[in-house]
Amino acid sequence: MKKFLVTFLTVLLGGAIVAGVGVFNAVQGEAPPVLVANVVGTKTAPSGEEMPHAELYLDVYPNSSSQVPQPETKSPINNVLLAGQPFYHPSTSLQVPSNSLVTIHFRQYDSGGTIYNPYFAKVHGTVDGKMKWNGKEVSEIKPDEVGHTFTVHQYPESTQPYFFMSIPLPMNPANAKTDKMGYPVDPQIISVTFMTGEAGSYVWNCEFPCGDLYQEFGGPMQTRGWMAGTFDVVDV
Amino acid sequence: MSTETLIPEEPEAPTNRPPSMRRVKLWLQRPYARKILILNVVIGFLLLPLAWLLLAGMNQTGAPASEIMKDIEQTVFVFTIVSIPITAFVFAVLVYSLLGWRHVSGDEPPMQDSPAIRTNTIGVILWTVASTLLAMFLVVWGLVELAQITANSFGSIAANEQPGQKSAEIINVTGQQWVWTFEYPEHNGLTSDVLYLPLDRPVYFNVTSKDVIHNFWAVELGVKVDANPGAITQTGVTANKLGTFNVRCAELCGMHHAFMQTQIQVLEQDAFDSWVRESGGKKTS
Amino acid sequence: MSVDAAVETKTVFGSEVPQPPQHGAAGGVMRRLNFGTGLVGGIGLATIAGWITAIITPSSASSDTFAPMEPTYVYLAVLLGWFIGFMLGMGAFVGPLRWVVGRDITHSDAEYMAGKDLGRKRYWKYTTDHKVVGIQYLIVAMLVLGFAGLLAMLIRTELGMTWTSLFTPSFYNSMIGTHGIAMIIGMIVIISGPLGNFIVPMMIGARDMAFPRLNALSLWLFVSAVPMLVSSMFMGGIQDGWSVYYPLAAQAPPGMLGYQLTIIVFAVSTAVASVNLMTTILTMRAKGMTWSRTPIFVYGIFAASVMGLYAFPFFQYAQILGLSDRVFNTSFFDPLNGGSVWLYENLFWLLGHPEVYVILIPSMAVALELMPVFLRKPLFSFNFAVAGIVGVVALSGLVWAHHMYMTGWAPAANYPFMLSTELISIPVGFLVLVAIGTFWRGTAWTRLPLMAVYAVVFNKMIGGVTGVYLSDVPADQYFHGSMFVVAHFHYMLMGAGLFGAMAGIAFFFPKMTGRFLDERIGSIGLWTAFIGFQITFMSMFVAGLQGQPRRVLNFDDQFNLSNWISTIGAYVIGIGMLIFLSAIITSWRSGVLASSNPWGSKSLEWQTATPVPLENFPVLPVVTERPYDYGVPDPYEAELDSTDQDLMEKAGTK
Repeated sequence: MKKFLVTFLTVLLGGAIVAGVGVFNAVQGEAPPVLVANVVGTKTAPSGEEMPHAELYLDVYPNSSSQVPQPETKSPINNVLLAGQPFYHPSTSLQVPSNSLVTIHFRQYDSGGTIYNPYFAKVHGTVDGKMKWNGKEVSEIKPDEVGHTFTVHQYPESTQPYFFMSIPLPMNPANAKTDKMGYPVDPQIISVTFMTGEAGSYVWNCEFPCGDLYQEFGGPMQTRGWMAGTFDVVDV
Repeated sequence: MSTETLIPEEPEAPTNRPPSMRRVKLWLQRPYARKILILNVVIGFLLLPLAWLLLAGMNQTGAPASEIMKDIEQTVFVFTIVSIPITAFVFAVLVYSLLGWRHVSGDEPPMQDSPAIRTNTIGVILWTVASTLLAMFLVVWGLVELAQITANSFGSIAANEQPGQKSAEIINVTGQQWVWTFEYPEHNGLTSDVLYLPLDRPVYFNVTSKDVIHNFWAVELGVKVDANPGAITQTGVTANKLGTFNVRCAELCGMHHAFMQTQIQVLEQDAFDSWVRESGGKKTS
Repeated sequence: MSVDAAVETKTVFGSEVPQPPQHGAAGGVMRRLNFGTGLVGGIGLATIAGWITAIITPSSASSDTFAPMEPTYVYLAVLLGWFIGFMLGMGAFVGPLRWVVGRDITHSDAEYMAGKDLGRKRYWKYTTDHKVVGIQYLIVAMLVLGFAGLLAMLIRTELGMTWTSLFTPSFYNSMIGTHGIAMIIGMIVIISGPLGNFIVPMMIGARDMAFPRLNALSLWLFVSAVPMLVSSMFMGGIQDGWSVYYPLAAQAPPGMLGYQLTIIVFAVSTAVASVNLMTTILTMRAKGMTWSRTPIFVYGIFAASVMGLYAFPFFQYAQILGLSDRVFNTSFFDPLNGGSVWLYENLFWLLGHPEVYVILIPSMAVALELMPVFLRKPLFSFNFAVAGIVGVVALSGLVWAHHMYMTGWAPAANYPFMLSTELISIPVGFLVLVAIGTFWRGTAWTRLPLMAVYAVVFNKMIGGVTGVYLSDVPADQYFHGSMFVVAHFHYMLMGAGLFGAMAGIAFFFPKMTGRFLDERIGSIGLWTAFIGFQITFMSMFVAGLQGQPRRVLNFDDQFNLSNWISTIGAYVIGIGMLIFLSAIITSWRSGVLASSNPWGSKSLEWQTATPVPLENFPVLPVVTERPYDYGVPDPYEAELDSTDQDLMEKAGTK
């Protein structure tokens, strides 16, 4: 029966190794802490209906500094590869309430350039098809003056409502006045309001090529915590 | 190993063999031959529902929504039917070998060797002819279907020149990491993130990519083609079913590959036109 | 035989052949080198190379696409340092260096390098004996497969947890890429390596391989490539699937270098091994072993070597060009700077498809090899089996573009490639015919090796039939890039390939270790894995039919059920494989002792003693028979003949 003991131990050990490696990597890849959009009051939707209103604040930085720490990562190589790369702050795991109006306020500190697809220089999916940029209402910006985009798109599940929203975040001009950290003193201020439907999980990423390698779409563009993340609509 | 002779002894060729029909008849009287043939038929009938089950699996979300998809399903159906007899025969031999010819005394080797069947000319010829015919059938079927699908998608005659047909809608499909956009160049460059298709009207897709390779897969329409950077691939389809269908990316394209999906809305021509108007596209042609 | 009396002949025995002068003890510096010094050399040189590169590369260095280049250069230096240091420490360069300084290897040096009187230590050295290399190959290939299997379990865990995400998408992508390439490498090696090296020379009645030192070289090149592949997981991983299509691979983190160097080194290893096996088989068959007396397994290994030899260079060139794109900013595969993505796809699949047969043909051949022994009858239609193998080799290089039906690369090319792909079902069908013809009326001695053959033929049929859908362009228009493809090639590579390897290992285990593979534990493992396999991949077919794309970690709810079932099945496979592994471990240590020919086989490898002596045969054998002369006269034929007599008599009287 010693043979069966060895068999048993082999299976146990194999299972333990799989579980160990799995847990180790699951911990390494933990999503950044969730940033919750809290309901702050009510607001009138275009239909005239009073809806709960939630707000969220996001900043986009061109790189980390002593003032703005780099996104937390437990994967050591990311610290090396993504040092000095742009990221969304304070988190990329977003959570907003369902059936509400949500306003996101962006402060955009990065430079920019020409986007590949002018479609993403336009505003899509907000309540009136517009966003507020430095106090003005606009529905699109010049495709060659984009800094980043915030593009929420479909999670591959047909059981939840289709959701698509994309906002261009205009770039800061190259001659913008900067502070000693190198960030513009007057960042681009953008705020958008959109309506959420039933609960669902979505993802978002930036559609402006601001990473590295081929088409500048590697590195931070393909790392959650930097230029991509999750977007959960939950019942509150 | 015997070292006595370098020339192996061949069994003598049998003389005076009875006519082949008679031999087949005699062969069929052997109990194992009958059992295997019965098993073959039984397993074949057990496998037969697969032909419909495969289609049921493919039709779960509303396919077929085009002639192309119908052709694809027909191909799958025919291939399943055609391959069932031969699969069932192999399985029947395996099953009979395990149940009928198995040596039961456990660890000890069989006391006596099995019949020394080196080859069987009739069997070999039958198998070769059957498998070649089968392969040829599949090739011919495939070539004909492919030609037909090609004609349905981007035939040598442009669809808008075919008599009695409504003019084709052209859609520029752009894949980029990790969203699809659909541009309607005939409607003032109207662009959308959802693919709207008019019912029963040929549509041409010019598919390209801004960065890496994607694969434009309109699942229920049976359309699939790579979106290559720096190149345009063309395909087309005529949707013939109203409803909401899926576009999925079928080529690994990076982190959010799994999320590179969107909807297809097949609308009546009127509804399609009003969508175009509401979205700010004008019919320019 | 008439001998010219005027010619005086003198027999010169090995040790009496005039030898170059012996310097020091036999083996020279090789006495001090082993796997330990290899590790020290590899890690040492890797550290030094990485450190120097880190110093001389300015930390601000970046490519024209803003990628920090320091990690790339350092990782490249570390990998190259590891490779050179490891091969140096193993003693791979000792032979050439001795040749350069004029110290030819003597007979006793060669004997030392073949592991004479070294006991177990020889398994840790640059040993040239083909039997030692075979065992080393077996262990390393099992480690690689185990690593890839571990990733498979994690992948299925992620896909089974449909309600949440365990891993990040990037890590999931790097798991599927690494799982794919590690499995492919492991599967290419698992039969041709251990059995090709250990068994083939004995099977053809040779004393060793044609080039024993190249044999050791091919093994240790393979070993040196394994850490490169594993290390890529820590450098961001291979996030682009095992096919690493460009330009996506150009966006990958530096882990891609691990993939590229692994392939470059592994391709050299394959080429060396292929040439060695082919030369051995062509030139060193025993006296009297004509082609029709050569066992079918030898044909299978020869065919795999031929295909490996012509197919791997395409892949290697592709990776060299890719490496150059990454490190030197060339643009071979950059479509926006004059490169071509279709060039990469063609180069890749020019390997990619023959490689499937590099895995499948040895597996089918080992199944056909052991069937006559357990069924006690000749292989059915030996010539058809050979024709099948030759047909597959001939067509293997003409089908690659069926992986590219949907790329839009050349729609007109779909017609000929559909033709050639469907034609290949004919020679593959020959092999199935030979298998069922051998089963036909054979009293099946259902020991573990034969039972595995049933599994192989069953899986092969399912893989083959589903392959027919995929070979057809219209059907492929639905199935391409879906889970259906994944299920199909797992049926081929794992269902037919890995179960064939299990059959082969179980069959040759008594010759390789002197002990039987434990029948009961081995069978439990085999059948657990088999059942788990059917559960996993049958439901994966369903997911594919429903329209689930491959390589996705999140999917529509409609695919949940089939993915849950798949995941449960995958765990069952994992448990089955671990049980089989434990059978190998316990049997190797304390299994039932086997005689030198426990299965009563007639082929040459079983005619020599176990454990096999250093040069296999005390006297080289002479072959006088075909390899599978088992069996007794057919009782039915006798009956038929008597019936003939009656018929004839009746006809005569009428």
